[in-house]
Amino acid sequence: MNKKWGMAIDLDKCTGCGACQVACMQENNMPIFKDDSDLPKRVTFLDLMKVTNDKDAKKKYGEVQVAFVPKMCQQCEGNNLGAHQPIPLETVKKRVLGGEKVFFPGITYDEQDNMLYKPEVVYTKDMVEDLEKKGVKSVYFDNSQPPCVSVCPVVATDVGDDGVVSQVWSRCIGCRYCQTACPYEARAFNWWNPRYEGDFKKSLNPDVSLSSRGAVVKCTFCSHIWKRERDKLLAKGEKDLNKVKYNPACVSACPTNAIIFGDLNDPESPVYAKKLNNDERAVRLVHSIDKADPKVREKWIAKKNYPNPKVYYLSSQKWLRDILVGFKNS
Amino acid sequence: MKRTLLFFFLPFIISTYLSYILFIKACDYAMNVQAEKPLPFNHKTHMTKYNISNCEFCHGYYENGRFKGIPTVAVCKQCHEGKTAAEKIFFKNYKDTDTPWTSFAQQPDLVYFSHIAVMKNKKTAQCASCHGNKGVSMTTAKIKGKMLMGQCMDCHDSLKISNKCMVCHD
Ligand code: SF4
Ligand code: SF4
Repeated sequence: MNKKWGMAIDLDKCTGCGACQVACMQENNMPIFKDDSDLPKRVTFLDLMKVTNDKDAKKKYGEVQVAFVPKMCQQCEGNNLGAHQPIPLETVKKRVLGGEKVFFPGITYDEQDNMLYKPEVVYTKDMVEDLEKKGVKSVYFDNSQPPCVSVCPVVATDVGDDGVVSQVWSRCIGCRYCQTACPYEARAFNWWNPRYEGDFKKSLNPDVSLSSRGAVVKCTFCSHIWKRERDKLLAKGEKDLNKVKYNPACVSACPTNAIIFGDLNDPESPVYAKKLNNDERAVRLVHSIDKADPKVREKWIAKKNYPNPKVYYLSSQKWLRDILVGFKNS
Repeated sequence: MKRTLLFFFLPFIISTYLSYILFIKACDYAMNVQAEKPLPFNHKTHMTKYNISNCEFCHGYYENGRFKGIPTVAVCKQCHEGKTAAEKIFFKNYKDTDTPWTSFAQQPDLVYFSHIAVMKNKKTAQCASCHGNKGVSMTTAKIKGKMLMGQCMDCHDSLKISNKCMVCHD
């Protein structure tokens, strides 16, 4: 799938009402525990965090400002250099015939999104000719590497075809490596067995599985809603899954439309990545790499895999942006 | 000497065997292998005698793409008008509110299985790929065994469909 779901959150519009958090918990069958003010042990996908420019209580009267930041799993992508760019088969053929060792770091797909080869398969002349015979004109690959996926010993967490990082609670053994690896504390560990009081159990969402004690849970951009919308589209006879559109529960719940959701690859979507990257107001939670000088940025990226999240925060206030990108004197 | 060894390991063997049985039973229970269907039904007659060649005639989809599963008695009555004495007696005994009227092959909670995604997509399966050749069976009993993840993955692999966790799990 040549999709890359992403999100943009306009913090100027956010009033901190918390509807997104409530909607998220209800959609994903989060239990309510006795003491949910116990922050480290609270189980929630979406945290509404309050930030202020007055951390050391030195601001004068009238200068103090606060903002609310909804923070969920940022669906990190890793560097993923060169991904989702169509590579003409002729170029591949030329390189193969020239005696080069051609392989791609991720799973390769053809332009119809059919899976072709597994990662790091070296292309031979026969393979290219076979593809030519099938009428393949170009290929693309995807090589997302979020920090949390590679550490999981039991493959309970994985990157989907649309770049969304999945988590299968029932498969998780609770080692919590991923929680340590995640730079955004987006994962929560279930310390207790979920309890649903009274009639709560009847209102649970049948599309999302319940997580038991001892498993790590996280936001999956409501991928079950995508599946639901896909089924609706298939029932209408549409077979191109790239046409599926959906909104996660938090996006639908936001009364001020502060959260918008869409395809980062699509120039017509409201969250087109290239547009957001040039937006003065947009920042991502990436330790100032995004705002660094392009040359320095390239050097860093070549050396190290950085999380490269897919959630953008928009704000017109500089102090807030500085806090979000993690500049030192903020 | 050998006999003492046997006696020594006997409790271990018995407990392994018992836990094996327990595990199998638990799996069967979770996947609803012995689903009860109180209405006797002959697939073969319906297929051959009445010339219904499309499974969707009775096992169709709702408008939003959900699979209807086992048809209701009301669906049967669309063809069986319930006028003859035999039919009257027959349908008097079966109501849609009867319990247990359970689903045929239940997948565990963590699976988001969608029939329409498998049957109406670009690459499709046949009903028989998972359910066996149900059309010629004379009962409602299950032909093929449990549907395990390996079977899904084999098919996905050979058809070059993505095998990412997200495709089926939630
Ligand atoms: S806690 Fe679960 S999901 Fe995380 S690394 Fe361990 S097994 Fe994998
Ligand atoms: S590292 Fe954290 S924020 Fe990034 S995809 Fe994994 S859980 Fe989400």
